[in-house]
Amino acid sequence: MAEPARKLEPGPPRLVTYDTHPARYRHWKLSFDGTTATLAMDVNEDGGLVPGYKLKLNSYDLGVDIELHDALQRIRFEHPEVRVVVLTSAKERVFCSGANIFMLGQSTHAWKVNFCKFTNETRNGVEDSSRHSGLKFVAACNGTTAGGGYELALACDEILLVDDRSSAVSLPEVPLLGVLPGTGGLTRITDKRRVRRDYADVFCTLVEGVRAPRAKEWRLVDDHAKPQQFADLVRRRVEALAATSDRPAGTQGVALPPLARTIDDAGYHYPTVDVRVDRAARHATITVKAPAAGEPADVDAIVAKGAAWWPLAMARDLDDAILMLRTNDLEIGTWILKTAGEAKHVLACDEALERHAANWFVRETTGMLRRTLARLDVTSRSLYALVEPGSCFAGTLAELAFAADRTYLAALPDAQEREPRITLSSANFGRYPMVNGKSRLAARFYDEEAPLASARAAIGRPLDADGAVALGLVTSAPDDLDWDEEIRLALEERASLSPDALTGMEANLRFGPGETMETRVFARLSAWQNWIFIRPNATGETGALKVFGSGNKAKFNRERV
Amino acid sequence: MTIDYSEKIPNNVGLAENRTLQRALEQWQPEFQSWWADMGPEGSKGFDVYLRTAVSVDPKGWAHFDYVKMPDYRWGIFLAPAEPERKVNFGAHQGEAAWQEVPGEYRSNLRRLIVTQGDTEPASVEQQRHLGLTAPSLYDLRNLFQVNVEEGRHLWAMVYLLQAYFGRDGREEAEALLERRSGDADNPRILGAFNEKTPDWLSFFMFTYFTDRDGKYQLASLAESGFDPLARTCRFMLTEEAHHMFVGESGVGRVIQRTCEVMNQLKTDDPAKIRAAGVIDLPTIQRYLNFHFSVTMDLFGADVSSNAATFYTTGLKGRFDETKIGDDHKLVGATYPVLEVRDGRLVSVEVPALNALNEKLRDDYIRDATAGVERWNRIIEKAGIPVRLSVPHKAFHRKIGPLAAVHVDPTGNVVDDATWARNERAWLPSAEDRAFVSSLMGRVTEPGRFAGWIAPPARGINNQSVDFEYVRFG
Amino acid sequence: MTTAATDVVRQHLIDPEICIRCNTCEESCPIDAITHDERNYVVNPGKCDNCNVCIAPCPTGAIDSWRQVAKVEMYSIEEQLKWDSLPPQRELADAEGASELPPEVERIVAAASAGQGGASPPPWSAAHPYVNLYPAAKPAVATVSGNFRLTGDGASSDIRHIVLDFGQAAFPVLEGQTIGILPPGTDAQGRPHHPRLYSVASPREGERPRYNNLALTVKRVDEDHEGRPVKGVASNFLCDLAKGDTVNVIGPYGTSFLMPNHPGANLLMVCTGTGSAPMRAMTERRRRRIPLKEGGSLMLFFGARAPEELPYFGPLMKLPKDFIDINFAFSRVPGEPKCYVQDRIRERAADVAKLVADPNTFVYICGLKGMEEGVAQALADACREQGLDWDAMLPTLRAQGRYHLETY
Repeated sequence: MAEPARKLEPGPPRLVTYDTHPARYRHWKLSFDGTTATLAMDVNEDGGLVPGYKLKLNSYDLGVDIELHDALQRIRFEHPEVRVVVLTSAKERVFCSGANIFMLGQSTHAWKVNFCKFTNETRNGVEDSSRHSGLKFVAACNGTTAGGGYELALACDEILLVDDRSSAVSLPEVPLLGVLPGTGGLTRITDKRRVRRDYADVFCTLVEGVRAPRAKEWRLVDDHAKPQQFADLVRRRVEALAATSDRPAGTQGVALPPLARTIDDAGYHYPTVDVRVDRAARHATITVKAPAAGEPADVDAIVAKGAAWWPLAMARDLDDAILMLRTNDLEIGTWILKTAGEAKHVLACDEALERHAANWFVRETTGMLRRTLARLDVTSRSLYALVEPGSCFAGTLAELAFAADRTYLAALPDAQEREPRITLSSANFGRYPMVNGKSRLAARFYDEEAPLASARAAIGRPLDADGAVALGLVTSAPDDLDWDEEIRLALEERASLSPDALTGMEANLRFGPGETMETRVFARLSAWQNWIFIRPNATGETGALKVFGSGNKAKFNRERV
Repeated sequence: MTIDYSEKIPNNVGLAENRTLQRALEQWQPEFQSWWADMGPEGSKGFDVYLRTAVSVDPKGWAHFDYVKMPDYRWGIFLAPAEPERKVNFGAHQGEAAWQEVPGEYRSNLRRLIVTQGDTEPASVEQQRHLGLTAPSLYDLRNLFQVNVEEGRHLWAMVYLLQAYFGRDGREEAEALLERRSGDADNPRILGAFNEKTPDWLSFFMFTYFTDRDGKYQLASLAESGFDPLARTCRFMLTEEAHHMFVGESGVGRVIQRTCEVMNQLKTDDPAKIRAAGVIDLPTIQRYLNFHFSVTMDLFGADVSSNAATFYTTGLKGRFDETKIGDDHKLVGATYPVLEVRDGRLVSVEVPALNALNEKLRDDYIRDATAGVERWNRIIEKAGIPVRLSVPHKAFHRKIGPLAAVHVDPTGNVVDDATWARNERAWLPSAEDRAFVSSLMGRVTEPGRFAGWIAPPARGINNQSVDFEYVRFG
Repeated sequence: MTTAATDVVRQHLIDPEICIRCNTCEESCPIDAITHDERNYVVNPGKCDNCNVCIAPCPTGAIDSWRQVAKVEMYSIEEQLKWDSLPPQRELADAEGASELPPEVERIVAAASAGQGGASPPPWSAAHPYVNLYPAAKPAVATVSGNFRLTGDGASSDIRHIVLDFGQAAFPVLEGQTIGILPPGTDAQGRPHHPRLYSVASPREGERPRYNNLALTVKRVDEDHEGRPVKGVASNFLCDLAKGDTVNVIGPYGTSFLMPNHPGANLLMVCTGTGSAPMRAMTERRRRRIPLKEGGSLMLFFGARAPEELPYFGPLMKLPKDFIDINFAFSRVPGEPKCYVQDRIRERAADVAKLVADPNTFVYICGLKGMEEGVAQALADACREQGLDWDAMLPTLRAQGRYHLETY
């Protein structure tokens, strides 16, 4: 299997970045009409992120999805008036044919997994906005809707399929490619659309898929219409969905300026987040900085401050830092989470987020924080939070400690006044649910009432080493004599373990009892899909994914495992 | 509580400047003292013992002789001098600079190695704690106590490593070393041989000859470790371990010499007559030898061991004299013979050398231990008695590994249960043997006098005369 | 200390009957002179330099084994590897030089000359010294024929001139050599006392010419170097001796700190306290030869706390000025500034430098360890002041046996 980018392009490996702007889109057309935004897919065949494949038939790669992610962000923040987003195609007879097979065929396993994770997060984000922000989505499938194309449609609130006697929805991964749908298709047809399992079984093994009207009969789509009536159907459904939205009318949006990011040998640097990469030790230190004094408390002032308001600025910086590290620094296996600054300013922002929760901008900002923290939860890196003097693990930033696999707090028995503190706020009790729908504290304590009640009773009280240990908020609290050695050993020990086993172990432990559709999507992706991806039956020389399009037939090892 | 560290705890590890270590020791030292009071040599508290104390690592400094009350013995912490630019000399890290800190990756394996070694030190003190009551001379009593305090110092050495390099886990393990008890069914020492009793002085001599020699080989292998503080600690410990083996070798030698003298006086080789004369007959000595040799064989671990391979490949534990061996020090493709039972016979099969490192160390040990038995034979030879002692076959009386599944006689033949049962009394000490040896044990406290079953030594300790007052009772 | 060209050496061996083959000696040997096979541990006779580092670590004492053997008949490694027990001590054909140098003597002598980087060769015209004629096992018995206090009644120290007569025993010594005194009795641990070494203070023909005697300069030790009270075993024994008492003497020792014998040789002598003993011996030797008009000058720098503490002050003052150029330095004379020998050397820089530059000049320094550095520095300064390159000269002086240092 060919390496992506790094092998095909001579010279230093290309750095993948996630920031873009509608003016630079190559694959999507974003237009607005009152409360409706239309995102029309129009993939540029020659616009692949990496050389080596053509993005035919509205197939996509990571670059296409980066633009989709950006467009959704713009709609959320810059267009508060939008109530319904119509996802459709600007090409004839094809809505979207899914992830590009040749791209998958030539990519490393790591690239495929990272790509799938990001596309899944974007589709989860579609549902997240529908659930929390009143932003509704309609998939107007005006042509062939295959594989990842159908999975994109599945993320929308409604799927409308053109009934032109040829367009079908399909999940052909199993029969055609010997792999699974990678962005939640199998999960959503059951959990979300409740397609009967025998129909689903038939559907998932049909290369050509299912056309209307059977697609509707099997609950694969919500409705269909002849080509001539299709636009009308879409319009009617948009109106109906718009009526259910509480997005504000007549409100000015908040512009999302480019991130103020610098990249150098040391790492990635943002105004509110600093990432320092230690390549030899294979860990990165992510330091999130508290706001300075003077963040606005008044809602108008908050909206006026817009993207510069610390909660949003920090969320955007952190989100980007996570994506950069995940994509570009595969061997950096441990992320050390730190915070710096004054807890009271973090808590002041938390209070504003709480008090003005009803405001659209505050609501979107909360959503951004929620999705960013959720991104951390599903990151396949070891997360160690270090609570050190000068840190501010309070409220929203305390979530970093609770997202971590381990949290070490530096006890200072001889300098109590300098001992770092953890402070809980209401933000820690449900404002940022994980993809399993639970707050990180609830998940930490398995919904047990006693520890949660104790934690809740401690809201607002800075907790020192003893307090944090007593409440079960930190893993251990080595004192200043032990600190350096304990941390060094903990990091070195982690760095020596199998990265694959760690990924599996961490995901298992982070998401305890209680499944949601999202946890099922991620779990099945990392378990089944990733297993299948590395099996010879998919990616061996005669594997289905490898030989796709070559005219050769896949040869399988017929053993059932 | 404050401790004058350099005075109370002689060391060359910068204890006075190391707060972490000081704090750990402040906690641990009183626990050690209380362990010594509970489990150290019985009834010895007020004795002035002519002991060797290490006060520095240069050859003069670590052999400082004086009268000491054992609870006041200055248990020190010493590392052999650093070898400049020392490298990891084997395994996957061969050629890299030796580690001055614990590599996080190998933390647990290293800790396990150190804990396993460290556990044997207090264990043997516990096993030997009643022997002082039946010492055959002041000279021997003093040697016993010297062994005891040095085992104590070896415990300190291992505890130093745990406390200085393993953080909180290390401190917890250091405490656990004082909490386990030899022979306690609920809370035993880690290795089987260290839960056996050392009921009499012949056992003690055999133990120090055979089992402490295992210590020598283990320490020598650890002295090759890529983790430099462990290597340096063990190198220094080896010099003390030598004294223990001296006690064993000369002790058994003196027992043999005395027996030969009596045999010649009485002109007999009849065990009954020899026993009646108050000395230990050679067949009984051979049975004790068989027992201690075989128990020690088990200490080297399974014949084929993946742990040993891992310890080697990761640079944690080398082979005996690793740097003097002329091979690739990685054992790529190399094989080594180990014993297996096939069709009721012992056969030698070649296995990857990496997995046979325990067996290799065992074989190195056997050569060394056999040479000493030959020196005992020279005593018998000199006395003109046509008897030879010998070490049993390495498969004899094994309790660990595949050889534990069969009975093997001392010459290496697999035998059936009936044969074993018939001959066990001829091969291993019986309860009667032990009772007889026990009956000879009685305390001799007059300087220069020795119990009747043991000859005086050729030389005293530190050039003192044999009748020197090695122990003064309080 | 280089033993004189003697045919007999003391070979270091390991007793195979006692050795337990623990490898401790091989491990501790700094020069890899110990090796082993499956049978024995042995000492390489060509390598071992008797540093004794291996002795204390040996758990058995097997390492502490020695045999006097003719140098050409030393036991080879191959022979030793075959032994089951040590060979008996051979009868040595030639008794001369057959005795061994006691380890304690070796240690003291080595420490005394450590300041000059080990023993230098003797002056080319030095007489052949006898060494080690009387070992500890077979000491010479001397009778005290005189014991005089040299320091004034008011002096804080008690320094004595003790004359020993050897009767019929041959005990030939040269100026600059030392002898060992075995104090009677045993130490607290019941072992015999170590021997103490004293420089001979009389010339080779005896304190009294043609008498079989020699003189020692002994200071009663009642405090250690740091001033803590301690009773020196040997010095108190010696200082308390009465005429007619007997003393066990071993030695003589010393093959380096010897005086030149050729006409025209100059002596530059620097000493403090009882370090004056060898200087007195050499000066006396030269004084007795004044009538021979052999030429050569003597220059002496002599330091003490005060005149009454300075041994031989009176006799020295009587020596002719054109025979010896004497420079006293007193550090504790009330009302006078403290003056040390190095101050006097600096004052006399021009003459000192001129003397040192003369290839016929031999330098001797003897006294407490503490003076070593100051004197060396003063000599260096004096030479530099006169445009001489001391750093370049010193190695030559040493190599030619012209610079001798003995401190204690």
